[in-house]
Amino acid sequence: MTSPAPLLTLDRVSKRFAGHTAVHELSLSVPGGVVYGLLGPNGAGKTTTIRMIMDILQPDAGVVRLFSQPSGGRTHSERIGYLPEERGLYRKMRVRDVLVFLAELKGMDRRLARDRAGEWLERLGLTEWAIRRIDELSKGMQQKVQFISTVLHDPDLVILDEPFSGLDPVNTQTMKDIVLDLHRRGKTILFSTHIMEQAEKLCDQLCIIARGRKLVDGTLSDIKRTHGGHHLVVGFDSNTGGAAQVFADKALVSKVDNYGQYAELELAAGADAQQILTALVVSGARLSRFELQEASLHKIFIDLVGPDATRTEVAPVHA
Amino acid sequence: MHKVWVVVRREFVERVRSRWFWLMALVGPLFFGAVFILPTVLAGGGGVKDIVVVDATAGPLGRRITDSLNAGRVFAAVRVPVGGRVLDSLTSEVERKHLSGFLIVTDAAVDSGRAEYRGSNVSGFATVRTLERVVGEAVTAARLERAGVDPRVVAAARIPIRLATQRIAGGTAKGETAGQSFSLAYFMGIILYTAILLYGINVMSSVLEEKTTRIVEVLVSSLRPFQLMMGKVLGVGAVSILQFLIWGIGARLLLARRASPLAASDAMSADEVFQVPHVSGATLAIFMAYFLGGFFLYSAMFAAVGAMSSTEQEARQAQQPVAWLLVLSFVSMFAMLNDPNSTLAVTLSLVPLSSPIAMPVRWAAGSIPGYEIALSLVILAVSIVGVTWMAARIYRVGILMTGKRPNIKELVRWIRTA
Repeated sequence: MTSPAPLLTLDRVSKRFAGHTAVHELSLSVPGGVVYGLLGPNGAGKTTTIRMIMDILQPDAGVVRLFSQPSGGRTHSERIGYLPEERGLYRKMRVRDVLVFLAELKGMDRRLARDRAGEWLERLGLTEWAIRRIDELSKGMQQKVQFISTVLHDPDLVILDEPFSGLDPVNTQTMKDIVLDLHRRGKTILFSTHIMEQAEKLCDQLCIIARGRKLVDGTLSDIKRTHGGHHLVVGFDSNTGGAAQVFADKALVSKVDNYGQYAELELAAGADAQQILTALVVSGARLSRFELQEASLHKIFIDLVGPDATRTEVAPVHA
Repeated sequence: MHKVWVVVRREFVERVRSRWFWLMALVGPLFFGAVFILPTVLAGGGGVKDIVVVDATAGPLGRRITDSLNAGRVFAAVRVPVGGRVLDSLTSEVERKHLSGFLIVTDAAVDSGRAEYRGSNVSGFATVRTLERVVGEAVTAARLERAGVDPRVVAAARIPIRLATQRIAGGTAKGETAGQSFSLAYFMGIILYTAILLYGINVMSSVLEEKTTRIVEVLVSSLRPFQLMMGKVLGVGAVSILQFLIWGIGARLLLARRASPLAASDAMSADEVFQVPHVSGATLAIFMAYFLGGFFLYSAMFAAVGAMSSTEQEARQAQQPVAWLLVLSFVSMFAMLNDPNSTLAVTLSLVPLSSPIAMPVRWAAGSIPGYEIALSLVILAVSIVGVTWMAARIYRVGILMTGKRPNIKELVRWIRTA
């Protein structure tokens, strides 16, 4: 799956703002054709990272490489589609004019942009709104116009910053469809989110950052294998027997959420699920469920990031 | 470069399409016309003034003054001999606005040259000047007669003087009257001030719109902030040129149609302070050069102001220092009109912040050596580069900033480190 030359790499990229470090020596590598998730809690440095990729901000240190060149997004703007976290369009402009204008800025031919805009508007059911002003559109429709503007010039790399935030369920689905369609057509998608369920469904590869530093990156399955730990779900059929003692054995179980008739366990390092099963049966517990589970991305994320993840490092401000 | 062009075209097309632009095309000339004509109308006081001449003279002085007041178009005068409570009743007439005022003439006037006018609007410039002239002429005549000069000779000697002033520029008389030069300078000053302010603020709100809608983030991922700012300034500048063209062509057509009846009628009726000036090609060139110079200089500053603000209110506040610079240059125009070659006027027309208004005003009001214009333009051009450079740095940082407006210290840091 990994192509020899990654489409996008960050090599020890850092960005400081007055008083705090937003991104610290972040390195990552996005191969062509994947859906790549940049995950992290709020304030982790996701948007700053994306802005550095897009050439909106210049890194203080480190190199951004796109399409095998040591240059940021502006040089390749005709090959990149970018949807920023905070969205907006010219309120007084007509829908089609906005789309054509933004596509032209990306280097697209005017007439082609016009035709393509027409096709996209039709696809998303906005044809009759083409010559209306943006501020006549509902919020949902404006969001659709914004998606179109991101992909109108048929970019090879699409960068979406929190693409699902603020979307209604219908538009969330539309957005997902667009992402998956792009993926099918071999495009590369990089998106940031703090909602793990979405990342889990969409990503092939991901990178988790917190406080500007990388915690882990790789393919979703690798990360789950190495960081998932062993997660066990146990259900009881009326009689829990001596289960509580079994759970308390630190040699077998490192962590437990015991709900009485139902418990979630974390296996201790080196322990085997089979040992626990035996111990439970011996203790006289009647089991209705015994299941070894892969940890959810959400859980891995929480474990890695910890509860104080959103705290940013604040250094004294130098005048 | 193509991307700058795309921005220029958007600014231009969107603006020219707007109702605002066409409203300005129509209302603009009315506004300028009003600014232009209003002072004359107000100074003239509008219409004939009813006054009474209180005659306390033994001789014919009071009668003469009354006659010559009635000969003019400003006053309708009635002569009343002095006596009893005449002054009290006249005062109450003035208070009831039945009278504009009354003039008291005594025999002593012939010796002292003094007369007294009491009116509701003593400060009316045209009123007082006309009264002074009429009384002065009558007193002169009375003195001459007293010295034994034949009244007919005196009458014959009273030829009204009309001073034909011609402005000398470039070694030739231009055939412009002083009034024309004055009104041209005044007019150019007003248009320059208004247009630079108006279009500068246009640039500012355009920057602010992109910032508040956050679309700027998409834009600067496609082109450099400097390109975006330049495109914006050039686009709005192009709109202003089109606006001037519309006004210019409109004025030309109007004046061409008006020219014949105007020439046929009494030329005097066109007011004497403001006259339709002859605008030469050189004047137009100077006007446009300084308008564009001033526009670029100020709109760069306005762009920076837009970039450092987050809301309309903030921008309105932050633009005040910039607007005041412009207001100051505008106000100093009146000092320059009196003496276009004073040290103050020369300085103002060289200082880049004021030269866009000061130099065209001086040019229209008097002759200016070519090297001064060249020097002033060079200074202006260099300043535009410098100011744009600084503004672009503020712009670059500012457009992505949200939250608190930066203070001066932070601004300096933006400029240094951007």
